[in-house]
Amino acid sequence: MESGQSIRGGGAESTTGIVHRSSVPRQPIWPTIDGPLGLSDEESLSYARRFFKFGFLLLPWLWAVNCFYFWPVLRHSPAFPRIRDYVVRSAIGFAVFTVLLGSWALTFAIGGERLFGPVWKQLVMYNVAEKFGLTGWY
Amino acid sequence: MAQNPKPTTILDSLGEEIIRIIAPVSTCMFMVVLLVTVLNTDSSPNITTIASIVYNETSSDSIWDKLKGALLNSLAFVAVITVTTFILVLLFYLRCTKFLKFYMGFSAFVVLGFMGGEIALILIRVFSFPIDCVTFVVILFNFAVVGVLAVFVPKMPILVTQGYMVVIGMLVAYWFTMLPEWTTWALLVALALYDLAAVLLPGGPLRLLVELAMTRDEEIPALVYEARPVNYHEVDPRTANVARTLWRGRNSGSGSGSVEISDSNSSPEVWLSDGGGGEGIETRVVVVGEGQNSEVLPELLAPLVNRELEGSGTRVDCGGEGNASMDGWAIEGIGLGSSGAIKLGLGDFIFYSVLVGRAAMYDFMTVYACYLAIIAGLGITLMLLAFYRKALPALPVSILLGVLFYFSTRLLLETFVVQCSVNLIMF
Repeated sequence: MESGQSIRGGGAESTTGIVHRSSVPRQPIWPTIDGPLGLSDEESLSYARRFFKFGFLLLPWLWAVNCFYFWPVLRHSPAFPRIRDYVVRSAIGFAVFTVLLGSWALTFAIGGERLFGPVWKQLVMYNVAEKFGLTGWY
Repeated sequence: MAQNPKPTTILDSLGEEIIRIIAPVSTCMFMVVLLVTVLNTDSSPNITTIASIVYNETSSDSIWDKLKGALLNSLAFVAVITVTTFILVLLFYLRCTKFLKFYMGFSAFVVLGFMGGEIALILIRVFSFPIDCVTFVVILFNFAVVGVLAVFVPKMPILVTQGYMVVIGMLVAYWFTMLPEWTTWALLVALALYDLAAVLLPGGPLRLLVELAMTRDEEIPALVYEARPVNYHEVDPRTANVARTLWRGRNSGSGSGSVEISDSNSSPEVWLSDGGGGEGIETRVVVVGEGQNSEVLPELLAPLVNRELEGSGTRVDCGGEGNASMDGWAIEGIGLGSSGAIKLGLGDFIFYSVLVGRAAMYDFMTVYACYLAIIAGLGITLMLLAFYRKALPALPVSILLGVLFYFSTRLLLETFVVQCSVNLIMF
């Protein structure tokens, strides 16, 4: 089917001259969201890999940045096979971490004292800050 | 049937560039005003900082005492800043770039982690937000570390880097608004004057820094906000790096531009750069200011050719599309970064926001007046930049206009408006 379409496209270009395909100049697809200002293909691979590995240091936000940065890779998957692996794994990692952290935070916030008992008061941030005097300015 | 490039209007080119620098400045100011209105009550804490080592203002002192104290404070602060800037110039001269980069990463971490954390804690306490310490620490850690990466790593996503610059500016600005009132105003004026001197006088530290960076063709390590360039055509990916320096260099016919970047610990500067593009005239205005914490935004250096500076002894070599070797380019300043966009130093962000934040502590009327004054000042500075094509300080015009507007609003406009409202004439 694909070859058929491309032939048709080619035919359209050469014969009828209509169509969108002929009027759009071939644009290179960039792996990063910044387009031409971003990284080249080789650099992208090393960046994606490094971001993925660093994310394991309890940095899901870095995974999210990784996915955001290489969004075109997710959209045009076939073009960047190796980068895509890292980006997809980062996305999965971020999703898992967010679900875990989110559920814990929501349980904590919504459950409150009823669920946790007096421990809640010790865990909640504003009390911890008071205890350690963190909110005073120097 | 090739696609014809859309005719670009002045609004698309120049307007877009200006919007892309005014938007983050406005965002930073808006967030600081928000923080100030939410967090500051009458009992705002007085911090002891470099800016108030000489004199700590209390509300019971007489006006004369306050004035004297404020002037002394600001002089002390400016002196410290001058010394720090000279140290920076020295370090840069001795090529301690690694140390400077490390110092910048460290200061970004301190600002994001500690100051950001404290402000977040205050907000949590004010709103009694039921977050637990584990989640808070994880989120803060993530935020700070990715922020440091955004400053260190050469090619983070542009939006992320820009966002973090604005956040750092906002945090430092909020911290500065906690200075006593008279000290703040004296400090702003003193810094505006210092900036003027440091950039324009021959012996000024910032000028030295720019010249050093220019002769060496290196980037000044600093925290700068870089706006996204306005592109009219796709740059061919394979020759992207080369092409960027290329079309910067092709200033030949189009009245070329110069970009200078100068950044030092506390002087904002403005650079202008015009790049002649392959297909059209692309104007890149570069405004560079400087950050409180110098930090390297490790980006590709893209030297610009400046015909205007021919007289000052820099080599001018404007090659055609074919010969783009880095050596051939005359460096008149530190490149605009890889894409020739506008850069504004973080110091500008910070002090503009301090001014508006301080105005917010009085009333919203002064906020509007000061905001307009600052934006007008920024516009004037950009125009001057386009006119003079050399490093210009970005603080003086805006700050002086802002201070002028603040005092005239507070002393004159307010009485007028209040009286009119009270007598039901208008407003």
